[in-house]
Amino acid sequence: MKRSFLVVFFMVLFAAAAAKAETLKIGAIYPLTGPAATTGKELADAVKLAQEIINNRHDFNLPLAKDEGLPNLKGAKIEVIVADHQGKPDVGLAEAERLITEENVVALIGCYYSSVTKTASLAAERHQKPFLNPESTAASLTERGFKWFFRTTPNDDTFSENFFQFLDELNKKMENKVKKVAIFHENTDFGKGVKDTETKYAKQYGFELAATISYSANSSSLDSEVQKIKNSGAEVVLPASYVSDSILFMKTIKKFNYAPSMILAMDAGFISGEFGKSLGADGNYILSREVWALDLAKKKPMVAEINKLYKERFGKDMNGNSARTFTGLLTIADAINRAGSTEPDAIRKTLVGYSIPGDQLIMPWAGIQFNEKQQNELGRGIVVQLVDGAYSTVWPFDLASREIVHPFVPWDKR
Amino acid sequence: METEILQAVVSGLLLGLIYSLVAVGLTLIWGVMDIVNFAHGDFLMLGMYTSYVLYTSLGIDPLLSIPVAGGFLFVVGVVTYRMIIRRIMHAPMLVQIFTTFGMMIFLRYVIFFFFKPDYRSIGNTVLSGNVKFLGVYVGIPETVAALGAFLTTGVIYWIINHTKIGGAITATSENRVAAQLMGIDPDRIFSLSWGIGGAAAGIAGALLSNFFYIFPEVGGVFGLTAFVVVCFGGFGNIHGAFIAGLIVGLIESLGGYIAPPEYKHLFVYSLFIFLLWLRPRGLLGVT
Amino acid sequence: MAVKDLFMVRKTDYAPVRMAVIIGLVFLVLFVPVIFKKPFPQDLVIKIFLFALLGNAWNILGGLTGQVSLGHAMFFGTGAYTSTLLFLKFGVSPWFGLLTGAMLAGGISLVLGYPSFKLKGHYFAMITIAFGEVFHILFRNIDAFGGASGLFLPITDNSFSAFYFGIHKAPYLYIVFFFYILSTVTIYLLDRSKIGFYLRSINAEEDAARSLGVSSPFYKSIAMFFSASFTAVGGSFYAQYVTFIDPPSVFHLMFSIQIVLIVILGGIGSIVGPLAGALVLIPLSEFTRIYLGGTGRGFDLILYGLLIIVFAVYQPLGLVGMFGRKRR
Repeated sequence: MKRSFLVVFFMVLFAAAAAKAETLKIGAIYPLTGPAATTGKELADAVKLAQEIINNRHDFNLPLAKDEGLPNLKGAKIEVIVADHQGKPDVGLAEAERLITEENVVALIGCYYSSVTKTASLAAERHQKPFLNPESTAASLTERGFKWFFRTTPNDDTFSENFFQFLDELNKKMENKVKKVAIFHENTDFGKGVKDTETKYAKQYGFELAATISYSANSSSLDSEVQKIKNSGAEVVLPASYVSDSILFMKTIKKFNYAPSMILAMDAGFISGEFGKSLGADGNYILSREVWALDLAKKKPMVAEINKLYKERFGKDMNGNSARTFTGLLTIADAINRAGSTEPDAIRKTLVGYSIPGDQLIMPWAGIQFNEKQQNELGRGIVVQLVDGAYSTVWPFDLASREIVHPFVPWDKR
Repeated sequence: METEILQAVVSGLLLGLIYSLVAVGLTLIWGVMDIVNFAHGDFLMLGMYTSYVLYTSLGIDPLLSIPVAGGFLFVVGVVTYRMIIRRIMHAPMLVQIFTTFGMMIFLRYVIFFFFKPDYRSIGNTVLSGNVKFLGVYVGIPETVAALGAFLTTGVIYWIINHTKIGGAITATSENRVAAQLMGIDPDRIFSLSWGIGGAAAGIAGALLSNFFYIFPEVGGVFGLTAFVVVCFGGFGNIHGAFIAGLIVGLIESLGGYIAPPEYKHLFVYSLFIFLLWLRPRGLLGVT
Repeated sequence: MAVKDLFMVRKTDYAPVRMAVIIGLVFLVLFVPVIFKKPFPQDLVIKIFLFALLGNAWNILGGLTGQVSLGHAMFFGTGAYTSTLLFLKFGVSPWFGLLTGAMLAGGISLVLGYPSFKLKGHYFAMITIAFGEVFHILFRNIDAFGGASGLFLPITDNSFSAFYFGIHKAPYLYIVFFFYILSTVTIYLLDRSKIGFYLRSINAEEDAARSLGVSSPFYKSIAMFFSASFTAVGGSFYAQYVTFIDPPSVFHLMFSIQIVLIVILGGIGSIVGPLAGALVLIPLSEFTRIYLGGTGRGFDLILYGLLIIVFAVYQPLGLVGMFGRKRR
């Protein structure tokens, strides 16, 4: 008697909670303080914009834009709870657990830093909640066999291979052929991971690795590092750097009057807003891997419209990071809607079979569809070049919005 | 080969001069009143932001903002002393560390709050470009900064050793009670030391802003090295700090050139450890 | 004098009140998982005791001997990496790894500590910063130890022998609490023993103690050994709890400093100090991050810095001093 009363009581409570659940919560964990706080803020802004587009009526060819809220869940609105992980893996873990157990989020996205994504997704795995990672690129993340972890962005393995495909195609097209590459990487998880995959593909594509220089991102000087690259005689320098060191690197090569044939960077610092802003014309002609560029608008007008909304609200243009996070939130919200349920298992099943064509994304991808490792297999990178403050797509050649400037213009000829 | 080593030596010396200037301010405070200022690197950061603000709002070249940054940080130093340090003068060493550590966090995040975490840098300054000399490239802003650091260090050295005020500072640091008996007001001397120490960091910041990126946590990049330099040279020892700054700059540069650069700080710290084991009061410290 | 005598505990001021306090605390902690069912408050309590443990460990050196170490992260990291590497490479039980890590950290502390004890005040603090940085740089660059990518413990079945309990926090809480009590008892006994007496006399008047034939490096080494070992225990616990370690999270200078902050906040050299400090500082930093960190303007850290300054200026004896208890 007593027990059945309790059961009824909880059922009533549950029903009341369900009826009240016009909003469902999604947790987003980003570095809002610490060295990557600028990026963290951009990502949190991207999340806010995606939330707004989902919850209100907009005329975009994006999932959930045309409806208010999630139509399959009676128009439920989503509410994103943004948490700060300060760039620390243990904080990311604690925040993920807090969001799952205190805020009752139905899914999580984040965390930009690969190291934090590692621990935060572990919390999701243990609590059996879907975790969608839109922007961490360490190849190892999808090698762990996690059941609840999905990644929409292509990873460093793909990107590194893209580099050498690009160099191969360029060598066929251009007279100025390049063969010797040097890897210049900062020595945290990101830089080291990139070095490993680049080394692998350099060999596979038959390029000569002239030097591999590892350095610490908080160096007060990169003189000896740059000197070593210069001495190696490399034609292509492949940097993997964060913001401060990418700026210092450019200032240092200019000081040494050193101009390799090509600087082909693994995004991060080289595509940050501050890179162009602080270097001005000195940042010109670097190439970087990207996942997104504003000039994609020429092929996809929607890109410009979304960017306009973003700029109106937050005062700056979107970039590859914010575009990926934006896409990430839309994807997870769309999956929840398609599942028609907030049950973790139902969402997971939907994500496993999820598929969306490229024209419904603001990314230059063929779409989103997860392989057996739950890595999006339709993504790819692009190569952009910075010229006078704007990044333009130069590769794949069919998406290019301008002709590549190659080789890198020497400092005295500018 | 020779040019490359020469290049590393030149780069190291230029960097070392900046380290020296940052360290001189720190060692002065340390020597006079036996207090560690963990926020010293962040005084430098304030100097950089002073130049940045003057440049972006009034278009003043960082070269001209050096006196402003120096003056501003002089005031910051004095105010810090009067508001905070004076109250913890007689507290245990740990409490003093704790306090300046709190100041470090506070300053860093106040700047963070107002300027956001963005990396900034000043472009189009009077000083730019580079020159080639004996096959060695030197950046003009770096060279001017190093010269400025050298001059400022020299001036501070001269003030301490050849002026009346400097004599009072030295007397106070050697024996506070005796100095007081001679009619020197230690409170004013401490205040002044904090002012000069702050000004040195401010000037170093303004000099650096010509070529180094600026962000709220930039103090950490130079702060820790400054501690090593000060210890290396012996606390309170100005020419010790000067020489130690050059040595640390050289080790970093040559170490990074000869071995994998990721280990360059390892050389600095290891040498520092062995030096302290051999000479427990630093290179020029009295044993 | 026989080594046994050194560890003899003075029985004069045996205090039943303290025993009662400890027993009360034990009961309170045992019931934490019953009162707070959600992981977040449990996580908070675990962190509080972890830092109280680390604070106690630091206090054995810093509080008893007055040697200020700003490099304790090296012992924490040594513990974390030893148990994790032994498990990953050789399948050794983390419990055995924890003991090995503690012994290893103790050994390292003797090797590095002995030649450093002649350094006074700031110099000792600075050399420990340098030790910490050397460890940080080495672990970041040695790929055999996981390098910059860090080490990840695989998800295994929950069991006590594997030191792994998945989402269940209560076992972790009891374990960290056990180590906290162990460290408290150790510091209590050390303090009351002849060693403690010598250490305090060295702390107060080193030269005088030396002239009376008290070998200060010898006694400091004993304190350093215990201090390093307990810190390493905390490190192994952290690795098992978070299941991921990388150099910045266990070897960072800020980590060393955070340990010291907790001790200072609580009261240097006091037995309850570290727990008091952790009780205030850990929730403060967690809650300011949660409620103010989301704004992305760093307001939480401004407040944090300001509180540290105000506290140091107005309450330099720590929380324990605030309640009128004098340092012995």
